[in-house]
Amino acid sequence: MSDTPIEADLTRSANGRIAKERLYHGLLFCCAALTVFVTVGIVATLAIDALEFFGRVDPYAFFTGTEWVLRSENPILGILPLLSATLVVTVVSALVAIPIGTAAAVYLSEYASDRMRSVLKPALEILAGIPTVVYGFFALVYLTPWLQQIGLGVSLFNLLSASIMVGIMIIPMVSSISEDAMSAVPDSLRQAGYGLGATKFEVSTKIVIPASISGIFSSYILALSRAIGETMIVVVAGGSRARMFDPSQPFANLLNSGQTMTAAMVQAVTTDLSGGTAGYYSMFAIGLTLFAITFSMNLLSNRIAARYREEYQ
Amino acid sequence: MATTDDSAGAWFGSDGQVSQLRGLLFKAGCLGATLLALFLVFVFLVYVAVDAIEPGTADPAWWATVAATVAVPAVALAAYYYRYDPRAGEVAYTAVGLPIAATLLAGGVGIVFRHIVSPHEWLALVVAALVAYGALEVHDRVRRAGAFERAAIGAIVLVVTIVGLPGLVPSLRSLILSLPVLPMAPLSLLGTFVVPVALAVGWYVRRERESERAGLIAGGATVAAAALGAVAGPVAGVSWTTWLILTTVVGVPVGLYVERVLSGGEGVSGLALPVALAAGVVVCAVVVETAGFTGPDVWLDWEFLTNAHNRTPREAGIYPALVGSVMMIIVVALAAFPVGVGAAIYLEEYAPTGGLLGSFVELVEINIANLAGVPSVVYGLLGLALFINAGGLQPGIVIVGGLTVALLILPIVIVSAQEAIRAVPDSQRQAAYGMGATRWQTVRTVVLPRAMPGILTGTILALGRAIGETAPLLMVGVAAVVRISPTSFFGLFSAMPRQLYSWAQLAKPDFYHGVLAAGVLVLLIVLLMMNGTAILLRNKYQRRD
Repeated sequence: MSDTPIEADLTRSANGRIAKERLYHGLLFCCAALTVFVTVGIVATLAIDALEFFGRVDPYAFFTGTEWVLRSENPILGILPLLSATLVVTVVSALVAIPIGTAAAVYLSEYASDRMRSVLKPALEILAGIPTVVYGFFALVYLTPWLQQIGLGVSLFNLLSASIMVGIMIIPMVSSISEDAMSAVPDSLRQAGYGLGATKFEVSTKIVIPASISGIFSSYILALSRAIGETMIVVVAGGSRARMFDPSQPFANLLNSGQTMTAAMVQAVTTDLSGGTAGYYSMFAIGLTLFAITFSMNLLSNRIAARYREEYQ
Repeated sequence: MATTDDSAGAWFGSDGQVSQLRGLLFKAGCLGATLLALFLVFVFLVYVAVDAIEPGTADPAWWATVAATVAVPAVALAAYYYRYDPRAGEVAYTAVGLPIAATLLAGGVGIVFRHIVSPHEWLALVVAALVAYGALEVHDRVRRAGAFERAAIGAIVLVVTIVGLPGLVPSLRSLILSLPVLPMAPLSLLGTFVVPVALAVGWYVRRERESERAGLIAGGATVAAAALGAVAGPVAGVSWTTWLILTTVVGVPVGLYVERVLSGGEGVSGLALPVALAAGVVVCAVVVETAGFTGPDVWLDWEFLTNAHNRTPREAGIYPALVGSVMMIIVVALAAFPVGVGAAIYLEEYAPTGGLLGSFVELVEINIANLAGVPSVVYGLLGLALFINAGGLQPGIVIVGGLTVALLILPIVIVSAQEAIRAVPDSQRQAAYGMGATRWQTVRTVVLPRAMPGILTGTILALGRAIGETAPLLMVGVAAVVRISPTSFFGLFSAMPRQLYSWAQLAKPDFYHGVLAAGVLVLLIVLLMMNGTAILLRNKYQRRD
């Protein structure tokens, strides 16, 4: 804490200095190692409690069961209804976010003037900074009544409005990562296109997008993994009744309430299930499934993204 | 985007006019998509604001007065800046935003002194820390001993002065607290809060201006303004303590900024906007008062900010959740910042590239990137299993919530700190090594000071994320309704987003379109201010480099 920045301290023995250096080195290493510990901790705690769960519930029944009723006595625990609701939310949110996010990325990277970009980029960043519980509130209090007004027979809690909101939430993620990928395409490729007489449209769609396709896909995967793990929006606006997806009426599934994996975890922890019951441990089993899905998606996305970074550096 | 036709053999310019139209449509479509996303959220925000403020309940004359005195001058000035003087515009927006952000921070500091450390505890802590520091310094002068003796002495001094051994050795801190006569609360704050801030201000001004006198004046003015509160506070209708916090937390940064703009002479006209706004508000208040126009029946009022939850919507408030969020953020910052920055320093400055350790480091890097994408609800499960089931802590207390969220933002802090450290030019490191500095000395004196603005930006953004996190709090059992603010880090708490969720579950129109909207607005304003500060900080230092 002294004012002189670098002490020219030649009188002290070197041992002390070396010990100090080692101490700091060790401390900093521990900080970095802590992150690995977090991952190991997640896997270990989830696995231990999930094993506890699978000691009570047959894994086969869990992964193939089409009914989910959470209660202290004799719960019926089959993950498929939750998985199907998660899938519905992911698909609908992707339908919202992927076209809008990609178009926004193309605009920001290829068309926007500097001034326009300096306004739009922070605005999108702010969009990304809004807490998910607030998005859930938007969906429940404003979007659902609007959907009712335009004549869609949605119930008070429904997956449609939750999914649309999840889609809006992940737009900034798609657009910012895709834009980074598009900006990483070297200008020489664009100029080569213009040199051949291509229009801006042709350069954007036939040169820039194909050249950055791996980055764009990596943004999609990352955004979808975010949608799968999204909790508060579906908890607030999606309701808490687990329903199996009914393929005969695909739209009815959207208009009614449904429970995703994340919502089921929240329900398991907020309803008064006494600790130690199968219902209580079920959330660790769901958590492990969720973690496995999102972790592998993130890994995949990073692999793909690493490819495009190598290509142009 | 009809590009399905096979263009491999086609000449690019062959479709002339058509492609021009197609290009224009494509551009318009892309712009439209960008704006659509922003517009949708903007519409939602307008709805929230309307619900929280209820503009319909006010006299039209009230709105006309507001428009004439506040809105029209502000818009006119903004148009002028945009058209003629963009530099002044920047000054204007900073000069308006800074007092608002600083006032929010002052509210946070006020909550800290009211609920977490009382002024007397703070006094005892500061005095004990000073004594500890002094003792170490003296020891250092008298005996230039090796590192181990110094570490041992340091530990002993720390125990004697601050920590104490329960039942055996009372610490100096607790001895001070048990003194029969302690100075009044505002006086203790003046000595142990204002004076250190004044010293820092004086030091900063002295360095910036390279003038001893300017530093003395700045420091002295800070103390004088705070001390004035003994008289001026009651006159203005606030307690001395409030006055003191306001002058140091709001007055100092605003004063420094205004002074710098004035002496820099660039964009001075930007200062007209905050002055015009303040004058407009005063005039508006006077006119409304004398003419007797009724204002809107806002949900987001002082009662909302200072009340606890209540079943009657008009009496429901967010105060305990606000206090809980502040306490939780303190835990998050204390836990995530040192560890995150430490990990970033290791990865950027120390980590070997080859060998067994090198592949371990590679694993750590991949792992951090993946951790950033793990759903927040899974972190909640980790917190539940680690701190409550294995650690034996009580569910729903501040420290559990804070540590869980700290784990969640750790990867974000690490990644942003790594970027900031990477941006420090290598030549500076080489220069430090060339002067014989050790690795840690280089990090401490060269790398960290240069990277600090970037690190702080990333940390503020990450803390903004932490404030809004709800799912992990649900998983670690944070209670739906907490009517009493937590008094210690081991007390039960609620946080703002948790409180919003429990209001959303009440499913009553008055809560949906009133209380909940007001709470969302509070949360968003806090977030906007934090993110705005971070973005400003980033822009300022990016430009300098």
